[in-house]
Amino acid sequence: MEVSSSKSYSVGARTAWDMFHEDDFFTRITTSCADMDNMLGGGINCKEITEIGGVPGIGKTQLGIQLAVNVQIPLDYGGLGGKAIYIDTEGSFMPERALQIAQACIEDIETNGFYRKDFHVNMEPTSFLENIFYFRVCSYTEQIALINYLDKFISDHQDVKVVIVDSVTFHFRQDFDDLARRTRVLGGMALKLMKLAKQFSLAVVLLNQVTMKYTEGSFQLTLALGDSWSHACTNRIILYWNGNERYAYIDKSPSLPSASAPYSVTAKGIRNSASNCKRVKMM
Amino acid sequence: MAPLRSLELEFPLVDSNFQQFCASHGILSVEDFLIHDLYLLVGSAEHETTSDRLKQGIAQVLSILDGLHQPWLSGMELLEDAQQNKHILSTGCEGINVLLQGGLREGQVTELVGPSPSGKTQVCLLAASNIAKNYGGAVIFIDTGNSFSAKRIAEHVGKISDTAFKEPESQILEKIMSSILCHSVFDVFDLLSLLHQLESNLRSQMKTGSNRVLLVVVDSVSSLISPVLGSSGPYGRALMVSVGYLLKKLADENNIAVLVTNHTVGGEGGIPKPALGESWKGIPHVRLLLSRDCKSNNFNVSILKHPSMASGKTAKFVIYE
Repeated sequence: MEVSSSKSYSVGARTAWDMFHEDDFFTRITTSCADMDNMLGGGINCKEITEIGGVPGIGKTQLGIQLAVNVQIPLDYGGLGGKAIYIDTEGSFMPERALQIAQACIEDIETNGFYRKDFHVNMEPTSFLENIFYFRVCSYTEQIALINYLDKFISDHQDVKVVIVDSVTFHFRQDFDDLARRTRVLGGMALKLMKLAKQFSLAVVLLNQVTMKYTEGSFQLTLALGDSWSHACTNRIILYWNGNERYAYIDKSPSLPSASAPYSVTAKGIRNSASNCKRVKMM
Repeated sequence: MAPLRSLELEFPLVDSNFQQFCASHGILSVEDFLIHDLYLLVGSAEHETTSDRLKQGIAQVLSILDGLHQPWLSGMELLEDAQQNKHILSTGCEGINVLLQGGLREGQVTELVGPSPSGKTQVCLLAASNIAKNYGGAVIFIDTGNSFSAKRIAEHVGKISDTAFKEPESQILEKIMSSILCHSVFDVFDLLSLLHQLESNLRSQMKTGSNRVLLVVVDSVSSLISPVLGSSGPYGRALMVSVGYLLKKLADENNIAVLVTNHTVGGEGGIPKPALGESWKGIPHVRLLLSRDCKSNNFNVSILKHPSMASGKTAKFVIYE
């Protein structure tokens, strides 16, 4: 009786109890790096916006391509069996690299011993590429128009499970004289992406660049697009160099503790770091 | 403003004859009625053939208007209301409770301001779990950034475990978590219609009882309002103020505590200030500034504004895993 009376307060709400059990059903997208997956509680979460930022050359695009491939891992092998949308603003997507990563991904699945003889689905690297919908945008108006259009596109292609924007910053950094307008436009864009993520239960991954910011008396490296944008994502991961190693660090998350994990970029894509110390550092 | 003829369905006295009479005096809407000189109107009604009915119509419209404004309250009535109805709800976080002399107050809008990340969502989740658990009330969580984490709520509720319960743990967990409702809203208009709907639902429900709504959380209100604020024209600000007004009305009429989160923007000299500007400053009753010690679990909170405490008081708190 009590449960039904509280539900009548508002139609369209879901109780925390229902959501608690639903979480178990949503698989996460693996990053192919076990340490990073552990840090993320399994991988990139659906229904959320994850922002990944770092200095140039740290491997953001590599991670983006890896995720676009990994989302296609069939359900039987622990993946989502879905398709990917890759929005490229900088022109850094390389099909040859995607092919290489897809090939390595298939090899990994086969060598892990789960390969079944009666597996009918064609697991060729080229079919992986077919399932990545690629959009190239050259200005911020195109970017906004595309995100407005995604609603219809994804309704027609319901098996899209990840939307990757590489990078979300690029067209907003130059030529934007009116910063207040930029904040408004970005805020509106973030809300639309949130709605997409929730409505279609997909993951949105936004890759961001870094900039210098003057805080507390010194210049520090922070993610671009300002303070208001930093609230637009559900999770934030920062990629940085520590000596010669690449590390990923959770900067913001509603349910994960702060931690960092090492990773490396290899010919096969993103993999575990090759160093001896493989433990995830808890902060 | 509503035209007079829209009243005709419910109040047959406001018939077409009455409307015509009013129209001849230039009164077409309720607003015109308010502005017009009523003595003149009654006086000219005397000269009409259906004067009695017209005068009854005038009296009817006046009584409708009377029923719409807020009742007058004396200071004593306000004090009584505050003491009996507006309780203090503990947030579950010792540091904040101590700072606020007990916790969140029903009937007040409390705002958490802070850069990202500073623990605002965590405090909201903690308060929601605590209030659902310890006060047995319903919580409505309005989430604009998909950051509601049911897992985190379960962790908090599990920690405040009470051995006095005889029922098995999962049943308790279910009961508590079923009273926390989460809405996803991505649009300021959706938020407004949700708040209106909530208002009318609450009005038609009983105000007492163990499962009444105790807390409404909006996380975060600034991400909904920033996209519409600041463009040419006061349109955005009007929406913002309507949201604020609705939240305060909900809080006061239904004895609910309202918790909203806001982010910071760069101010002068690089010191961050709360977003949403000057017009929003006066809307929340209590404003708290949160910040996080670098990469640790220690947080600082300080009072920016409080109706009965000095601003500038600070406290520390820790959020556990």
